[in-house]
Amino acid sequence: MSANGPATRAHVLRWSAWSPGLEDAPAWERWAAAPAPLATEGHPAAAFLPAMLRRRCTPLTRLVLTAAFGALAEGERPRVRTVFATRHGSINESIELLHQVVAQERLSPTKFSHTVHNAQAGLFCIAAGNRQASSSLAARADTFACGWLEALTFLERDPATPVLLVTSDVPLDATFAALVPEPRGAYGLGLLLARAGDGPGFDLDLDGRGEAGARPWPDAAEFLRSLLAGEARLALGRFGWTRAA
Amino acid sequence: MTARPPCRLAALGVVNALGADPESVWRGLLAGEPARLSWNEALVPGRRLLVGAVSDPLPEVPAALARYACRNNAMALAALAQIEAPVRAALARHGAARVGVVMGTSTSGVADAEDAFRWQRAHGGLAPSFDYAQLEFGGLAAFVADRLGASGPAFTLSTACSSGARALASARSLLAMGLCDAVVAGAADTLCGLTTNGFAALQAVSEGVTNPCSRNRAGLTLGEGAAAFLLLPEPGGIQLTGVGESSEAHHMSAPDPTGAGAEAAMRGALADAGLAADAIAYLNLHGTGTPLNDAMECQAVERVFGTSLAVSSTKPLVGHALGAAGALEAAFCWLVLAQSAPGVLELPPHCFDGERDPELPALHLVGKGESVRVEGPARVMTNSFGFGGNNCTLVLERS
Repeated sequence: MSANGPATRAHVLRWSAWSPGLEDAPAWERWAAAPAPLATEGHPAAAFLPAMLRRRCTPLTRLVLTAAFGALAEGERPRVRTVFATRHGSINESIELLHQVVAQERLSPTKFSHTVHNAQAGLFCIAAGNRQASSSLAARADTFACGWLEALTFLERDPATPVLLVTSDVPLDATFAALVPEPRGAYGLGLLLARAGDGPGFDLDLDGRGEAGARPWPDAAEFLRSLLAGEARLALGRFGWTRAA
Repeated sequence: MTARPPCRLAALGVVNALGADPESVWRGLLAGEPARLSWNEALVPGRRLLVGAVSDPLPEVPAALARYACRNNAMALAALAQIEAPVRAALARHGAARVGVVMGTSTSGVADAEDAFRWQRAHGGLAPSFDYAQLEFGGLAAFVADRLGASGPAFTLSTACSSGARALASARSLLAMGLCDAVVAGAADTLCGLTTNGFAALQAVSEGVTNPCSRNRAGLTLGEGAAAFLLLPEPGGIQLTGVGESSEAHHMSAPDPTGAGAEAAMRGALADAGLAADAIAYLNLHGTGTPLNDAMECQAVERVFGTSLAVSSTKPLVGHALGAAGALEAAFCWLVLAQSAPGVLELPPHCFDGERDPELPALHLVGKGESVRVEGPARVMTNSFGFGGNNCTLVLERS
């Protein structure tokens, strides 16, 4: 059993990220050296998906599945547990359904199925043949940090099985965008986390004292920047990450 | 294997079609009649549906938190208000930063967003009372935390019908990790046009009362409600001792017909609690009354427990409250343990038309007025199987 280290520790065994124009690891290394706001338009081809599934994928689903599959070796796909963190989820697609409800029109059962908050989780499990525990969450500006925390709860219940944390969002539709001040960007970040293993370990605490909204890119990208820069400490709002020695 | 750290479900607040306090809900569960369901003609155009609507008046969201003012948050507030004293005591004892919030929902404030969109059709802009904080899923946990003045981690889980069960599982882990000294956890869901029309489009909604395990079952009855628990890392009282989780990896809107995912969740919960199957005295079924759910769930239950375990679905009494169902049914199990005298468990009956499906295993469906004897600790289990293929089973224990 690979259970050692404190209950608040997770090692990043592997990562994978995608944003328009930042589509492989070298591109993200260059971005981390000179970070800038993320692009808002565009989504990955997700050519690894079966054509029928791919056709039904929303931009968010393509981002999530690209980040998820990119962080996993083929043999790991059915074995990891998963946490999907997204502030807005499928809200953009729900807007069309809400207009239909208000207009008393019939809903498409497929579109309804693909707009629930755990749609990407369900589609990942189907595409990966994965029957392990899975969670989907949202926590407003703390969504990335709470996704990490939820992944730690999985490691608390079973320290021996790695957890794939996927954080992803797309820019909110104009219907609501003015109501939500936040860094915009289309992105997906997959982090394969484990209690122990090869890869930097981080201890999470609640003494972050970070400045909220301090930078014009999403928290998930800021974590990746800090990871690639090898920083000893990162604070995002009240959440703090300290790199284990 | 070392024993898990204790996790006490120290206080419960609950609201649903049966009432707005634990006593009323408990009486309604034992009565075992769908008498509190009501007909609704507004949710789905051209259809008259029986639903489990909350008819008790809900508290108003305080003016200082007006941006959160929607029916779903009022539902959560109705449950929270019932545990306010012990939560305030925990806040005073441990400090706001040590109290976390984990909530589940599948609807958040969609019902109020629909009103905002109706206003938009008439007036050209979203209703002035609307705020995105009502609609976004993270808004529920943020509201609960702001209302209580808790400043520990606060997040909302949304895995469809297993959301409420998952919230309790995550809360227990936050305590075990030592990141919180108390967690308020539960769920709230509200009847709304989006979800009702979505399930109607999937042909999953029954015309009349849902009829679980019957040969005549024809879909689910939707409902709404909220449950809120205070979880503390201390022994005694009623403990959350088992969590089992799995995914279906089968289809977005249908479970694996073999019940393999349901079986894995139940076996996982038993293993987590360190129990053999015969240690469980009662199982609250997911029991939605859809042909596929009941078929796969009954097979899975038979494989894990045989056919002698007392089981019932409480969804004919309250409707299926989706994102809140897992927390509500954990609340029903908590009431079974809290309200029964030592050595005996009074059980909510399985309400249906009495025409068992001969294709299903002949499970022991709880009859009206039935109770089971228990020696030593009493343990009960509840199943929640989410749309999208997300399963979570919990075990509760009274020593």
